Formats: sequence, structure tokens, C-alpha cells
Amino acid sequence: MTLDQLLADTRPALSQIYAEDLPELSQAKDWQSKYRILMLLGRKLPPIPEKMKQPSLLVKGCESRAWLMHYYNQHQDQHFFVLDSEARIVKGLMAIMLCLVNGMSNTELKKFELEHAFDKLNLKPYLSQSRGSGLNAMMASIKDCCR
Amino acid sequence: MHTFDPVNFRGQFEFFLQNPGWVYLDNAATMHKPRAVVSAVNDFYQRSNSNVHRGAHNLSQHATRLFEQARDDIAAFINAKERQQIIFCSGATAALNQIAYGLMHTVLQPGDRVLITALEHHANIVPWHLHCVRFGVQLDVVPLTNDYQVDQTAFAQLLEKKPKVVSFSHVSNVLGHVQPVAEMVQLAKNAGAITVIDGAQGIVHEKLDVQALDADFYVWSSHKLYGPTGTGVLYGKTALLEQLTPIYGGGEMISEVQFSHSLFNILPFRLEAGTPDIAGVIGMAAAVNWLQKFNIDEIKEYKAMLLKQFFSGLSQIPGLDILSSPVHNAGIVTLNVQGEHPADVAELLSQQAVAVRGGQHCAMPLFNQLKLAGAVRFSFAPYNTEADVATSLHALTQAVEILTA
Repeated sequence: MTLDQLLADTRPALSQIYAEDLPELSQAKDWQSKYRILMLLGRKLPPIPEKMKQPSLLVKGCESRAWLMHYYNQHQDQHFFVLDSEARIVKGLMAIMLCLVNGMSNTELKKFELEHAFDKLNLKPYLSQSRGSGLNAMMASIKDCCR
Repeated sequence: MHTFDPVNFRGQFEFFLQNPGWVYLDNAATMHKPRAVVSAVNDFYQRSNSNVHRGAHNLSQHATRLFEQARDDIAAFINAKERQQIIFCSGATAALNQIAYGLMHTVLQPGDRVLITALEHHANIVPWHLHCVRFGVQLDVVPLTNDYQVDQTAFAQLLEKKPKVVSFSHVSNVLGHVQPVAEMVQLAKNAGAITVIDGAQGIVHEKLDVQALDADFYVWSSHKLYGPTGTGVLYGKTALLEQLTPIYGGGEMISEVQFSHSLFNILPFRLEAGTPDIAGVIGMAAAVNWLQKFNIDEIKEYKAMLLKQFFSGLSQIPGLDILSSPVHNAGIVTLNVQGEHPADVAELLSQQAVAVRGGQHCAMPLFNQLKLAGAVRFSFAPYNTEADVATSLHALTQAVEILTA
């Protein structure tokens, strides 16, 4: 497995999450179904193979371990990411986050506000303190990739 | 005759009136405060606020009397021989740092050994690194048995290496297991070691008599004993307290200062630099005075009953790895849902208004040894109810169902 392959596998997964799972999540009738969807959604992201999970990829500040890989297409000014987390709910939330930022230009990524975006999707309650610390740490690492 | 009334006990806590929906099972992290403590802190600020040990005015003298009365109350609570053996500090972490720092180069020399156990909280590991290991002190660790108890055979063997200091927790903050403290202190003393007990989780579990226990140091944090955060106690034998180099220098702790050197004050002041947390100390004493209105043995029995119910309910839930033993347990149950990350379990419990802690509980070396990413900790207090037990078991069942669906 290479980063190129992972990136190639991640993109269709994200499109599917965006088109199918996000609408379903916003219509979920109770908290149990919401969490079930979140966990399924995390499973759709291709996992980073154990061998590739170098310590340098670890995102600091998460309660559970999470990894981030990045590729920047200079010609088209687009940022692409692959991420993984050992906790399933966090991974589901990170997948949603990734749907929103994958392929963004440098300027777009710099301007992106997670809280605002989650609010628009009615996902703000998931940015609770402990949860938020992991998500915000991942967001900070993603933003650090900006030029 | 039983006089402990759980409804009355819970009724002492305004928090539960304000938050009736929450099942609070994160007591090992911090406990709630009874009205007696909140009003003691309030009263101090509203009626008696003044600095202590200075100022000839009556207000300061009054504040000093309250503050020093708190020292007497705490000394009586643990049956300390002398009041100066009670050193106020910000909590168990500060106390352990003061001890490790204070013993280095006075009692501990490079090449000496310090012995701890494999289940210590970071607060009883890092201070030894910070203040002793980097000056050449060797840290030895007593391993655990297969059922996560401190290996007493290994403890006896490691004592043969003649550690100068033996430091261990009264109760494991991760597992809830109560150590055979009295026996371990005796063995360590026979081996000629100074004994330090981290009582952060132990002080709330059973009545402490420091003279009977005979440990050289015993430390705890007030907020885990119904008191305010930011304050705690370092108890020590007078001769050893006198040998501790103060970790903080400043006001109050000196008898004479010149630009070339300073001479230290007498105990307890030499180890209490700066303005103390006066209101916190008064609140801490209010907590122990309040607690002593109840029968501590009955409180222990009640908590054991809740724990028994909880363990019995857990046995009905499939797919759990329970790390804590129900025997000699101070009210903490740590577990994992097989194959699931503790953060997910804790999140699903939080969603159902059950407050627990998921993670490594400031004990990374323990979890490395257990080869686990962490665990979910349920910690009980006497203000918890049988309904709390039932609700948390139901919530855990729901979490397992969602995770394994």
C-alpha cells in the first residue's frame, strides 16, 4: 500500500459519505441511530495499514490515537488527506470533517471553520469537550499542512 | 444499629439537586462537595477574608485562627501526634514533588534506590524522575501479578536491594485495589526504607490512623475527600519533614533573609511558602468535620453494597473484560468492551448522562504493561444510589449493543 493508493481509495469513500450518509445522519430519529451511522461511516474510510502508522503521523492532543497523512497537488493547489483513528466514533466524526476539507485549496483550508461547518450540518453537539479535543487537534494538524 | 441513611447523605449535596439527570461515577477524578464545605468557603470570603500569619489587625488574627484550627482538625482526623506534621499544599501531586525534591541530596544520594509499584499514578512516578533519577537515583518497580495485584513476593525481593525510599499508593486509581498498606509499610521499615504513601484514593476509603500505620509520609488531595480543589495535605514524621529541602522559597517560610542567603522558618511554615489557599484549607477542614458526623464504617459498607450490585450486574453483560477485582476494592471498576476502544464506550455512556472516565487515567506505564489502549473507569461514592447502579448498567448494555451491532 502506498500513499497514492490510500488517497485514491479515500476519495470515492468521502464522496459516498457526503452524498449518502450525511443526509441520513441529519434525519436519524434517535441518538442510538446517529451513533450507529457515525460508526459505519468511519468504517468506510480505508484504514492506514499498521506498517505505515509511523509515530511522526500521530496527531498530538487526542485521547485516542489518530494518524494523518497529507498530499498537496501544487499544480492544482489542492490538499488531500488520509486519516485513521483507533476509536470508531472519533473516526466517524473525522470522516465527516475530511469530507468537508478534502481537495480544498490553500486559501479555502486556511479560512475553514470546523465549528461553523458542523453547526450547519447540525453536528455541533458532537463537538463536546473531550470529543472536541480530538477533533480540534486533528483540525489543527490539517491546517498545519497549509503553505 | 445502622444509622447511615443514603437519602439523607445524598441530600447534603446541592449538585444532585441541580443535576438530577446525571449519574456521576467519576468520583476517583473528583468528588462533589457537600453544602457544609461550600458554605465554609463562602463564609470565609464573605465574613473573614484576610491574610494569615501577618498583620496585627484583628481580622488577620481571626483568619489565622480559622486556618490554624483547620490544621488541628486535620491532625485530629488522621490522629497525627503533632499539628506541625500537617503541611498544607495544593494536593497529592505537589506533596509528592515536595517529598522527592526535599529528600534529594539530604536523604537520597546518587546511586541510592527508590522503589515504587507498577500501578502508580504519574504523580508518584514523574516527581522521582524529575527530582531524583536525573541526579543518579535508581528507580525500581514492583511488578503486578496476573490478577493485577502488587506482587508481594517481588516486593520482598526488591526490598533486599535496600531502597532508601519506598513509595506506593494506598488504593490504585485505575483498578481500585486496596494495597495491604500496613504490611507493606512494616516490610519496608524492616528493610530500613523511608515510606511514602500516596493516599489520593485511599483517604476516602477508610479511617486513617497515621500513628498506627507508622508510614513516614502520607499525602492526599482535598478534592477527592469532599473538599475544594487546589488544596491538600502532606503529612510527615517531624524528623523527616525537618530534613526536606523546601521546593518553594518565598514569604512565610523563612526566619531571616539576606541577599547572600536565607534561614528557614520552623515547621510547618518552612514548607508552606507564599500565601496559602486559606479558603481552600478551611473548606478542607469543613469537609472532614462534616464527614465525621457519619459512621465511616457504615459508609464503607454501603459503598461495598453498591459495588457488589454493580459487579453482579456486569456479569449479565456479555463481552466485557473486567480488570478490577471485587475483593479489597475501594469502589472502582475498570473494564473494557472486548475489541472496542474505551473512548467509544465512554462517549456512549456520556450520551446517556453517565459520567465515567475513559483513557489511561494518568497511569501510562500500567497500561503499557497490560497492553491496553486504556479502559473505562466507574468510580463510586456513598452519595451514589442503587438507581445509579441500575442506570449505569443499563447504559453500558446499550453501549455494548450499539458497538457490537
